[in-house]
Amino acid sequence: MSTLSPAYNRDRLLQALVLAGLALVWEASSRAGWVHPFLLPPLSDVLTRLLTDMQSGAVFVDLALTLYRALTGFAIAAVLAVPLGILMARRRGVQWFFDPLISIGFPMPKIAFVPIFILWFDIYDTSKVIMITFSCFFPIVTATYSGTSHIDKWPLWSARALGASEGELLREIILPLASPSILTGLQIALPVGMITTIVTEMLMGGSGVGGAMIAAGRFADSVGVFAGIIEIAILGMVVIRGLDWLRARMLVWHPENRAH
Amino acid sequence: MGMATDFGIKIEGVSHAYGGGQGQLGTNTLALKQTDLLIRHHEFHALLGPSGCGKSTLLYLIGGFIPVQTGSISTQKGPVTAPGPDRSIVFQNFALFPWKTVLENVMYGLQKKGLPEVECRDIAQAHIKLVQLGGFEQAYPSQLSGGMQQRAAIARTLAVDPDILLMDEPFGALDAQTRRVMQEELRMIWKKRPKTVVFVTHDVHEAVFLADRISIMSARPGRIEHQIDTGLGPERDESTLTDRRFVELGEQIWRLVREQAVLASRGGL
Amino acid sequence: MAGGGIRPLAGEQERGSLVVMVALCVRYLPVLIMLALWELAGRSGLVSQQMLPGIGAIASAFLDLLSSGELIMNAWRSLSRAAAGLGLAVMIGMTVGLLMATRPLFRTLINPLVRILYPMPKSALIPLVMIWFGLGDASKIFLIFLGCLLPVIVSAYNGARGVNPFLIWSATSLGASQDEVLREIILPAALPDILAGCRTALAFSFILMVSSEFVIAKDGLGFLIGSLGDGGNYPAMFAVILTVAGTGFVADRLFGSFVSHRLRWKEQA
Repeated sequence: MSTLSPAYNRDRLLQALVLAGLALVWEASSRAGWVHPFLLPPLSDVLTRLLTDMQSGAVFVDLALTLYRALTGFAIAAVLAVPLGILMARRRGVQWFFDPLISIGFPMPKIAFVPIFILWFDIYDTSKVIMITFSCFFPIVTATYSGTSHIDKWPLWSARALGASEGELLREIILPLASPSILTGLQIALPVGMITTIVTEMLMGGSGVGGAMIAAGRFADSVGVFAGIIEIAILGMVVIRGLDWLRARMLVWHPENRAH
Repeated sequence: MGMATDFGIKIEGVSHAYGGGQGQLGTNTLALKQTDLLIRHHEFHALLGPSGCGKSTLLYLIGGFIPVQTGSISTQKGPVTAPGPDRSIVFQNFALFPWKTVLENVMYGLQKKGLPEVECRDIAQAHIKLVQLGGFEQAYPSQLSGGMQQRAAIARTLAVDPDILLMDEPFGALDAQTRRVMQEELRMIWKKRPKTVVFVTHDVHEAVFLADRISIMSARPGRIEHQIDTGLGPERDESTLTDRRFVELGEQIWRLVREQAVLASRGGL
Repeated sequence: MAGGGIRPLAGEQERGSLVVMVALCVRYLPVLIMLALWELAGRSGLVSQQMLPGIGAIASAFLDLLSSGELIMNAWRSLSRAAAGLGLAVMIGMTVGLLMATRPLFRTLINPLVRILYPMPKSALIPLVMIWFGLGDASKIFLIFLGCLLPVIVSAYNGARGVNPFLIWSATSLGASQDEVLREIILPAALPDILAGCRTALAFSFILMVSSEFVIAKDGLGFLIGSLGDGGNYPAMFAVILTVAGTGFVADRLFGSFVSHRLRWKEQA
């Protein structure tokens, strides 16, 4: 890693040039009038808007609210789904009851249920968080269940032979071995959760980046819409990179981290 | 055919380094150093050496899969610059196309030659029979055992009728019994259809059993250290294994290879 | 005994299908239990019928929507948009992903865009497509296209990058050209990854279809759900929601069986 090859540096430079070029084309096309500024406001205007919103703090309130809803829903889903997935793999009764329900629920577009949650829990945070939990739950439970049931029997037999109890087996062998799959489930669920968060905010309002964007859209404030897209893009990247980082930290022992 | 037919492959002053750019051999891992080797026309030639000695690299260079950096490699068709059907290869892990049936795999190279479909099918069928896979034409590779997959891979390579047959530890992934059977069959097929064969292996007895000549390579950076004529004659079978010459050659070559292996493990420290 | 041989066989078959029936019932009993609990919650007055309409009420609302043609019309609008967006995404995404894996310059140029767009929650683009394309079909198709594009690009890229290099070497040594290697080796070898990406894209297409129709309400299933809910016709709203969920489920299952048919060469013997 310390020795950067010339090819790597050249790629980095080229990629930076590509991005700079795109930004330039964006700016120029609206300034020169190739594209109507309503359809594509100049990049500088969008960045100025971002800056003023940052100074007033409005951005941070919206981002914080969105992040809070997304992560709360996601965390609740993880806390419910991981134990359930492990239980399904280890207990036949649990598997019998939940397997058909989850295999039906997994491929359904959960977002369609938003109006039901509005009907049941109104349009405030409770309703949004429950909706996010609902949409994150299925990928996590499915990945955990499949990962736990496909664990190699050899480490389990070795641990038993070395005198591990049931509880120790679960904590010290099964959980670590299933963790790559569990993390994969979390990595699938998080983007779904982010999409759901934005949509629920657009539909139910109540601040947050999604709400702010749809308001900007309704008022034909295209600068505001583009500012919102940049905010959400950054938020999405930070959250997803964060989970990637967590995976690398948790799976230092795993061969997948050997390559780099 | 004429005066040039006495060589199959000519390797002159070939060095090869991995990693980094070309030319700066000092900073990279040197896999081959100033290697010279003349492989005769229609000779069964084994390249023997400890793992990591660059014997597979040499084979891939002959195949044209990796470009020659220094020195030159040529065949009857001229210098080697790219892979081509005149130098076909069998890999250790078979490299069959898993989404094609045995028949489709064997037909692939024939179709690339532009032969009519019926002819492709006939030639492919004949080669499937030759490697004793008759009846498995419609099977996918995943449905076959390792030995059967390697037979299919050999059929695919032989079907295009290459001048030169390159084999990269082709029986390395097979169990001991299957390996023995495959060795006898390969030698038999080669007798029926003589070709220049370069056979890479680290198994001394496999090399002695199969080859007319054996090149023993040194530890990294690799070069040809010894060349030995087996002189076991064209017939190889069960009785070869107990032949005095076979046993003696085995011991002699084993000592030479062991020397290199010891050097290699010292170098690794 | 010879004549009667058919009878026990038929009986066995009958018994076999009975076993399958019983197994199915046992497997899906939990679903029936959940439905019974649902019905009971309403009947017992634990939950108001307003909040959770009974299954009978939902079913009759479903039949009304079906016979009035409202459901079919809106489903057609929705599904044709999803299909258009998804179809475009699969075609373009596959091409871009394969080119990224095989053309270094192309990868360098496209990679920054992919890295920026991939982690972005695509629903954030709903207001943008509204500004660009208005409230009609184009805005929703473009949104679905963008949302489905990235999973397909990334899976095609990863799949093509992960192709066993020995397969490519085999093909070139059998006489395949660069172009043929891409079409005949890299594409089928990457197909399992590509199809997995398409399955993810299929799920995204449903999510974005419904989301965009909720927000940019004009017609389609999402719009129908919203308007029925606003009108307080909850049994009908539940009916359409369950229709959307069921359609998503069926689409995924159909795609799944297409995948396992297409990849039957992967099955082990």
